[in-house]
Amino acid sequence: MTDPFDTVAGYLQEHVVVPILWQLGWMKWEDLAGGWALFAVYGAAQVALMFAICMPLEKFLPVERWPDRSAVLTDVFYTVLQRVGLLPLVTFVGFYEAQTTLNAVLTDHGIVPPTLEMLFPWLLGRPVISFLLYACLLDFAEYVRHRVSHKLRWWYALHSLHHAQRQMTFWSDDRNHLLDDLLGAVWFGTIALAIGVSPMQFPLLVLLLRLLESLSHANARLDFGPVFGRLLVSPRFHRTHHGPGAAGRRSCNFGAVLPWWDMLFGTADFSADYTATGDVTASETLASGGYLAQQGAGVRRLVNDIRGDSRQPAPRPRGGGPGVRPANMESP
Amino acid sequence: MKTVRLSLVLAMGLVPALGFAQPLGFVLNSDSASISLIDMATHRPVGEVPVLRQPHHITRAPDGRFVLVGDTVGNQILYLDPRTGRVVRRQTISDPYQLMFSPDGRLLTITGLARNQVDIYRYDDRTGLTLWHRVPARSMPSHTAYAPDSSAVYVSLQGSNRLMAIATGTGAVLWDARVGETPAGVLWNDGALLVGLMGQDGIAVVDPADGQVRRMIKTGRGAHNLFFSPDDRLIYVTNRVAGTISVLDRATLRVVRDYRVPGGPDDIEFAPDGTLWITQRFDHGVLFLDPETGRFSRVDVGRSPHGLFLNTDQTTHRTAFP
Repeated sequence: MTDPFDTVAGYLQEHVVVPILWQLGWMKWEDLAGGWALFAVYGAAQVALMFAICMPLEKFLPVERWPDRSAVLTDVFYTVLQRVGLLPLVTFVGFYEAQTTLNAVLTDHGIVPPTLEMLFPWLLGRPVISFLLYACLLDFAEYVRHRVSHKLRWWYALHSLHHAQRQMTFWSDDRNHLLDDLLGAVWFGTIALAIGVSPMQFPLLVLLLRLLESLSHANARLDFGPVFGRLLVSPRFHRTHHGPGAAGRRSCNFGAVLPWWDMLFGTADFSADYTATGDVTASETLASGGYLAQQGAGVRRLVNDIRGDSRQPAPRPRGGGPGVRPANMESP
Repeated sequence: MKTVRLSLVLAMGLVPALGFAQPLGFVLNSDSASISLIDMATHRPVGEVPVLRQPHHITRAPDGRFVLVGDTVGNQILYLDPRTGRVVRRQTISDPYQLMFSPDGRLLTITGLARNQVDIYRYDDRTGLTLWHRVPARSMPSHTAYAPDSSAVYVSLQGSNRLMAIATGTGAVLWDARVGETPAGVLWNDGALLVGLMGQDGIAVVDPADGQVRRMIKTGRGAHNLFFSPDDRLIYVTNRVAGTISVLDRATLRVVRDYRVPGGPDDIEFAPDGTLWITQRFDHGVLFLDPETGRFSRVDVGRSPHGLFLNTDQTTHRTAFP
C-alpha cells in the first residue's frame, strides 16, 4: 500500500500543482514541484502532530499563564509559513539543485562526493539507520551554528528576535529573523552537502529535528529526568537557554535535540529551575510586534550593532542567573 | 580524450533471490532510491534493489548482458543482470539522467540534466563506458533520439524550449533551435523528429536538417514521451497533465485513440502479451493497460516511478524509423 503522505502529495501534484505550473508555463519545474508537494504535506502533518502533542502539555502542565496571548499568534504565523511553505521549498528544491549540481561537477573532476553509504556500504538499503546517523551529525552541526550565533555580536542581533519572546510556547521555535534563517539554512545545507545527505531524506531530517525542537520550546513543566534528560533535550533544559540570563554571548544549553554536545563541550546546565524567558536587550517590537514589525526591528538592531550602537548587556551567569525571575507562577 | 576511471565494484548480494521463474520488469523509483522488480507473469513485485540516490532511466546494453541504470544524484551507472536484477558493477559517471544507445550499438548518449551537458560514450561490455565527446548544452538537456544511421543525436533542452543536434562523430553541434514549451521525449520517425512538448498540448514535428518546426499535432496537455508500438504501426504519446495516452497512426500522425490514464503517465513498455506497462509518477504505481479494451490494473511500487524496462526476448524496442 502506498504511504498516505505520498497519496495526498501525489493527488495535490496531479490535480493542483502541475496544472498550475502548466498554466504558468513553468513545466520545467514539474519534477521538483512533486518533491515540494510531498514535503509541504509532511510539514502540515508535522504541525498537526506538534499541536496534538504540545497543546495538552501546555494546557495541563503550564509553566506560565498569560491573560493576553496575542504575541503567541505571531509565532503561529511563523510556524505555518516556515513548515508548510518556505521550509519545504528551501530544503527540497534548494538543496536538491545545489547537491545535484555540485556533486556532478565534483564527479566530473574526479572527486566522488562522499556519502555515509559509500563509507559504510552496509547502510545501503537501510534508510532508517542512515537517516538516524545523518540526524545525529546534523544536530551537532546545529549545536555549533547556534553557539556561534550567540558568540558573534552581529549574528546575535538577528537571533535576539528568537530570544525576545516572553511568552515562549511550542510555536516559538520558528520565530526567527529571515536573515537568521537564511544563515542557518546555508550552514545546515552546506554541512548536509558535505556529508552526502540524500535529497529525499534532507527535508525529513529537518522536519524531524524541528518537531523535537518545537517540543523543547513548549510552555510545559516537563523534564525528562536524570537519564532520559541526558539523551534528549527537554522543555526544561531548553527553557534555561531562553532565560534572560542566557540571552546573548554567555549562554548555555545550545543543543537542539540532543544534549550530548552541551555535555561534551561543558555548556550544559541541568539546574532544575523553570526560568522566565525573554531578552532584556531586545526592543518591545522584537518581543511582541507583528511579523513585519519584528523583521524590521531585527534589521535595525543588526545595523545598530554593526555601527557599534548596541545595548548589549553585561555578561550574565548561566541559566536564570541572579536576579532573574524564576517562572514559578504555576505550581509544579 | 579523457577516459573515465572505472570503479568496478562487485555487487554486495543486495538482491536475495537470484533465480526468478518468470522474466522481470524493472521499475525505477526516482524518489525512493530503489528499483522494483516485478514478475511479468503475475504483475507482483518480487524484489527491490537499493540504489544510492535517484535512479531515473534504464536501457539494455546492445549485447543484452546488462541493463544500465543512471543514478543521477548518486553519480553512478549501475550494471544489472537483466535476469535477476543483481547489481554486477557500478561506474562513476556524473549526473546520468537519460541514457540511450545508438542504433549501431556503439555509442551511449547520457544527458546531464543538472550539469547542462551531453556526454557521448563509447561502450565496451568488458570495460564499460569511455567518454568520447562532452558537449555543453543549454538548460536541462533531457531526452534523446538518434538518426537511424547513428550519425547524429538529438537532445531536448527542457529548460530552454529547444532541441539540439550533435554529430556523434565529431561532437559538433549541428543546430540548436526553438521547438516549443518544455520539450521532453524525442523520436525519429520517417525522416522527421517528433518532440513531446510538456508546456503545450501536443507534439512538434521537426525537420532533422535544421530543427525547424514543420507542424504541430495536438495530443493532450503536457505531452511528455513517445514510443513506437511493437508492431511498428502506432506511436503512443503520454500526456502527463491531461492524464491520457494518445495513440497516433505512425504513417499519418493522426490521433486514432485516447486512453484515460490517471496518475501522471510517463514511460511505457510493451509486454509480449500485448499489455502496456506505464509508470505513474504522481500515483506511485505501474499501470497495466489492455490496449484493446482500455481497461487497466495497477500495482504500487516506490515513490515517483520513472524509467521502465521489461526483460523480454525481443531486442530493445525500436527508437527510430528511417
